[in-house]
Amino acid sequence: MSLMSLIPALLAGAVAAAMPREAKAKYRLSLALMSFFLIASITWLWPSAAAPATTADAPPPAEWPYLLDVLIGLPILAGLFVLFLPRQMPGLLRGFTYAVFAVSFCASLMLLAVPMTAGWHFQHIVPWIEAAGIRWHVATDGMSVWLIVLTTFTTPIAAFASFGSIKTRHKELCAAFLFLQGAMIGAFVALDLFVFYVFWELMLVPMFLLIGIWGGAEKIKASVKFFLFTMTGSVLMLGAMLYLVWTHHELTNQWSFDYLALSRVVLPDTQQPVVMSPQFLCWLAFSLAFFIKVPMWPLHTWLPDAHVQAPTGGSMVLAAVMLKLGTYGYLRFSMGLFPFRSAILAGNLGAFAIIGGILYGALCAWKQDDIKKLVAYSSVAHLGFVMLGLFGATPSGIQGAILQMVNHGLATGALFLLVGVLYDRRHTREVSEFGGIAKVMPVYTVLFIIVTMASIGVPGTNGFVGEFMVIAGTFVSKRLAQFGAIEAVGAAFGVILAAVYMLGMVQKVFFGPLSNPKNKNLQDITPREVLAVAPLVIMIFVIGLFPSLLLDRMRPAVETYQAQFVRLFTDTPDTPLAARLLPKEQFAPSFLVGAPDFAANVDAPVAARAPIEAQAPMAARPPIEAKAAGGAQGDRTGGGRPSRADAMRDPRVRVTATTGGAQ
Amino acid sequence: MEQLQLQFPSSDFSLLALILLLPLVGAFVNGVFGKRLGNQGVRAMALTAVGGSFLLCLVAFAMLVAAPHGHGHTATRFTWNAWRWFTIDGGTSAVPLDVAFSIDPLSGVMMLVVTGIGFLIHLYSTAYMKADPGYYRFFAYLNLFIFSMLVLVLGDNLAVLFVGWEGVGLCSYLLIGFWFNDEKKSSAGKKAFIANRIGDFGLLVAMAMLVYYAGTLRFSTLEESHASLGQMRQLWPIAGLELPSWLIPTEPIRASVPTLVALALFVGCIGKSAQLPLYVWLPDAMAGPTPVSALIHAATMVTAGIYLVARTSFIFVQSPFAMAVVAGIGALTAVFAATIAFAQTDLKKVLAYSTISQLGYMFIGVGSGAFAAGFFHVLTHAFFKGCLFLCAGSVIHAMHHVIHDEEQSQDMRKMGGLRKHMPITHATFLISCLAIAGCPMTSGFFSKDEVLFKAFSSQIITAQKGLWVAPAWYGQAIYALGVIGAVCTAFYMFRAYFLTFWGEFRGWTIVKQAKKAHGHHAHDAHHEGEPLRGQAPHESPWQMTLPLAVLAVFALFGGLVYAEPLHLTALERFWHPVFATASTHVVERAGAHGMMLPLLFVGAAIFAVGTGAAYVVYVVKNGQPAAAFVSAMPGLHRIVRDKWRIDELYQATILGFFDALGETAVAMDKWLIDGVIARATAGIVQVFGAILRLLQTGRVQVYAASMVLGTAGIAWFALAPHATAELDSSKLRSNGELIFTAAPGHGYAYRWAEGDAAMPSEFGSKAVFTTQVDRCATKTVRLEVKNVFGSTTETKFTPCREMGNNCCARIAPSPQASTTQPVKVAPVEGSR
Repeated sequence: MSLMSLIPALLAGAVAAAMPREAKAKYRLSLALMSFFLIASITWLWPSAAAPATTADAPPPAEWPYLLDVLIGLPILAGLFVLFLPRQMPGLLRGFTYAVFAVSFCASLMLLAVPMTAGWHFQHIVPWIEAAGIRWHVATDGMSVWLIVLTTFTTPIAAFASFGSIKTRHKELCAAFLFLQGAMIGAFVALDLFVFYVFWELMLVPMFLLIGIWGGAEKIKASVKFFLFTMTGSVLMLGAMLYLVWTHHELTNQWSFDYLALSRVVLPDTQQPVVMSPQFLCWLAFSLAFFIKVPMWPLHTWLPDAHVQAPTGGSMVLAAVMLKLGTYGYLRFSMGLFPFRSAILAGNLGAFAIIGGILYGALCAWKQDDIKKLVAYSSVAHLGFVMLGLFGATPSGIQGAILQMVNHGLATGALFLLVGVLYDRRHTREVSEFGGIAKVMPVYTVLFIIVTMASIGVPGTNGFVGEFMVIAGTFVSKRLAQFGAIEAVGAAFGVILAAVYMLGMVQKVFFGPLSNPKNKNLQDITPREVLAVAPLVIMIFVIGLFPSLLLDRMRPAVETYQAQFVRLFTDTPDTPLAARLLPKEQFAPSFLVGAPDFAANVDAPVAARAPIEAQAPMAARPPIEAKAAGGAQGDRTGGGRPSRADAMRDPRVRVTATTGGAQ
Repeated sequence: MEQLQLQFPSSDFSLLALILLLPLVGAFVNGVFGKRLGNQGVRAMALTAVGGSFLLCLVAFAMLVAAPHGHGHTATRFTWNAWRWFTIDGGTSAVPLDVAFSIDPLSGVMMLVVTGIGFLIHLYSTAYMKADPGYYRFFAYLNLFIFSMLVLVLGDNLAVLFVGWEGVGLCSYLLIGFWFNDEKKSSAGKKAFIANRIGDFGLLVAMAMLVYYAGTLRFSTLEESHASLGQMRQLWPIAGLELPSWLIPTEPIRASVPTLVALALFVGCIGKSAQLPLYVWLPDAMAGPTPVSALIHAATMVTAGIYLVARTSFIFVQSPFAMAVVAGIGALTAVFAATIAFAQTDLKKVLAYSTISQLGYMFIGVGSGAFAAGFFHVLTHAFFKGCLFLCAGSVIHAMHHVIHDEEQSQDMRKMGGLRKHMPITHATFLISCLAIAGCPMTSGFFSKDEVLFKAFSSQIITAQKGLWVAPAWYGQAIYALGVIGAVCTAFYMFRAYFLTFWGEFRGWTIVKQAKKAHGHHAHDAHHEGEPLRGQAPHESPWQMTLPLAVLAVFALFGGLVYAEPLHLTALERFWHPVFATASTHVVERAGAHGMMLPLLFVGAAIFAVGTGAAYVVYVVKNGQPAAAFVSAMPGLHRIVRDKWRIDELYQATILGFFDALGETAVAMDKWLIDGVIARATAGIVQVFGAILRLLQTGRVQVYAASMVLGTAGIAWFALAPHATAELDSSKLRSNGELIFTAAPGHGYAYRWAEGDAAMPSEFGSKAVFTTQVDRCATKTVRLEVKNVFGSTTETKFTPCREMGNNCCARIAPSPQASTTQPVKVAPVEGSR
């Protein structure tokens, strides 16, 4: 297996060798260190197949429970601390920020040191606001761990790139990046809806500042648009969250914001695709928040504006990580809390992802004149693939989707970085301003083409693996039923359009005669910029050739989750008429580890309160009547429409009759 | 040999790693360090990489031949499994995809062709590209191409093949646009990539289908389980989709899975192998350096489609329909491309259309079930077409010394009489021309005639019922098209030959020592219309002529490995195990027996007619008939010269459609989506803001007035009577007792009434009222409240006594009363 360690070494060497001769020792050393680090980590991660056999007897390495707290807390505290450092010493500010990022990155690699079996890892639970059942509950599993690593991997690069091109207000910049990283990781690992919501909102703030302070000409408009779009979804989600928590309280008489506890709640719903049922509305509120973030058509228009106005570093983080919170949120929360809704709407949503995302995004990208806007629309198309994989809900589809999240983070992050390089030189991103710059910027061109190939999914780069897994997953998906084949074909069609828009842009910018005199003396990419983009480019190949490094670690989690998803919604064949609590046996045992323990008093009070006569057989009722009768199911799990259920239990029914008027 | 077999067992044949690694290292070193290595170093690296790879291929091939054939029908196969790439979940089971490579007789031969011809063309390029500043870049790409092509050929499963498949596409893109300063050339590269991508789309879909239906992408496993694919799938109407009735056919449209898979694979082949309707990229691809055209766009990459069909022959033969499509598209392309080649004046363009046409023949072969014959044509075509392209390159190289304009230096009207100046090039060109035209006993004759004979005589059968089977005349029709195309081929190839090498030299005036031959003066002079002057065109250096000679020898004698008329069928026997599964579906058509000899004469006649006609037209009559034809039918000539304007057609239809679609999407994004979601909502908020702002005037009087109004409103609410009551229904179910408690209020007085009974005349202070309700019955209770000012209001309650059998719903089916709560209380609007 010498080849495995050879290829990354060759690639790392290629980057080092490709540096111009005048490159400073500083950069060469950094690159050498980076290559060494990379090889070390790959060989370390590699023997995933062999390891379980040898270490089966030995207990798995202990998980330090505070690791996730550190990953979240360190950047946030450091961000606070930066605010007290002197503005006059930018070197200190930057050095401090780099140090924090380095520690974070190393800490996130520790997450990979344990075997990623199904279930939660590095779980840490601390009661927080006990009256409302809010707990600090963070944990990671095979699905979120890669997104954490992606965050700790790309944010430093974005910060590094920003320090190169932004010359003002470094202190605030450092703080913004640090806050951003902490908040994003927090959102990825939160298993308490309240904590999730806090981080979900918190990360908007630094991004709002990044766009609003260091952005382009229309930065204010773009940042406000970004904030308002996201906020709208968030508020809807908050409402649904509260409803869910309240329903849970109705059923169990316990307050809890815990994701695991709330997963057991099944809200009333019917088989119709669109109906004003509580489950549909709650699912919609959650999903809208995520769809806006992803962004899915037609909620995507904030993204091009935000990207165009954002500084390079902001765009990178936005594309690489923040959009992933939408897809991750859908996977974790929409599918986890509302499996029935997510399942019966999958076919329609898949069509949305293809037509609105993959195809429409590609067509829009093709017609853009601004390179950055083009890349932004390409994100819409790529995330269409991710969403399609999630809608299909096959193990391959979900794995492909998660892989594609990482891939998109790397490739699009690198694209934004490279576009930023060009922007720093010419202060324009109009395609028509360029042409033939391959002649003056050869190294830059090579890097750009490599990243382009990753973006359009040429096999050997990472883009292909994710896309193919999503397409194959879509084809075999039972969720999409008879539409699976058609949607797979539609998604595959997207790869043509990807080539059309990306290569069209590459040709206009890099090839042809060097006609614009302003481009005659463009400086090729500097060693510093190479250093920024090199890790991304290397990872493009590493994941393209050895995707198992990631996939093996996410498979147990994804397979368990997917099986649970299928079990949860197929177990409710007849329409649930009232909110009810699923028995624990429905869940994978590893899933409920850490759920708040109030099993003892779940059944008793409800059973006592329910009138005995009201236990009419549920299935015997026709659906329409059942819908009207929503709350009346006095079965042992309690009533559905909580208001009515409440009224039912209250011995003194309060009736308020409004009067027409006085006198 | 035994040592080697010990070292490299057939299940872990790591020799392939070396074969693959050498070109990759070459590409890497040349690409990264090439600039510092200098031309010498680059040359050494590139030649060592490909040459070494070729030698190792020879070793591997020798081992393959020497390996014992003890497995009956299964082909000898050496496999090397590098690492597990990823695992995917198929329809029923997990599908592991390995980065695995293997050689069997088919890929072994192809591997030799790739590295062998690849090496010759590398050697050729060392001289051809000598003066180019992008020397190192060129060889890096070229080495990368060899690597990708080897991955394609050696891939043990469809996914790895796809890596190579896209890899060669990428190299092709880079090499066509090698001179990227030229807008036209780089856009030709883009066009090639996108056309190939359309094909790759088909391949992706085919892979997804195979993952689902077969549960594997490995060729060997697929072949073993090929029969399991034979299910039918309904295409239209899609179950569950609500359609207007006119879209629902009386009979649902169904297709067998092999048909779908084979057609999807064939979409990939159409793109890669430049068949109708996706062939348009190949002529444009001639913008690349000529060695590239020889290697990629003639000898190796474009034949990948045929390789894929041959590789998956066991899938294709299960679907007679797909086979008929393959053969039909091949035949149509063969004739169609040949017609365009008639009117081209650019030497490379003639060869490009000839390549498309010849690829059509290969598809006729594999589409008729003659996989060995079809693939044999790949082999011979690699020799003679590679040689022809290299000859063209040699000629262009000579012409380029004086004529610097690219298009002019490739124009056959500027050539002529070159046989005197370039004897080796001339001889090799002639040999290859004879081969492609099908001169008896040359390689092209054997392969083309085998293909046409098999198309004429073979038939695809299937055991499965209900499948479409090609009618009996289909093979003959394909044969007829093939014959027409072959006559055309002989004619236009010799037209090109005579125009280039015979007659008088028309490029420039030959002088003994022309000082102006080099440099810009000649170029400028050309633009001013002065006649060019220069030295006689000279023969190319040995690096270029040696490959020509080698290829010409193969073009001449290569046919002897598979010359069925001479009963030499070594190659066919060698390949037989590979196509064993497929050949069970191919039978000889009734009445075709004994037709081989007559058809052989037809083949010879084709050559004689085509070549003779070209000789008469372009040598005897010196092009007069052609000129007469052009003047007689200028319209036809123009449209043929413009390649039937297919590019323009695509531009107007498909591209135009997508262009419009794109514009629509952008406009929609800007006006509709942003308009509704962003601007409209913002507008609504603004309107409300504007209205509310009117109140925020800053004038104390306005605030005081609104305060007064607000206070008045609250006071009015407080003073009006409110007739509300709380119900205690705890005893309702047991004894029907229901207790009302009216809400208290300042100075309130109450009076109660049951049913329609009149209200008591007096208001009292009795706030509590008790009543009895019968089972499953409603009761009306009215409450009137008078406040301290004497104004009154009345409310009616109609509670129902539910007994747990939903009886209240039956009594009062109004929406509000239909709920089945044990206690149903329906408040009715209060009236004065």
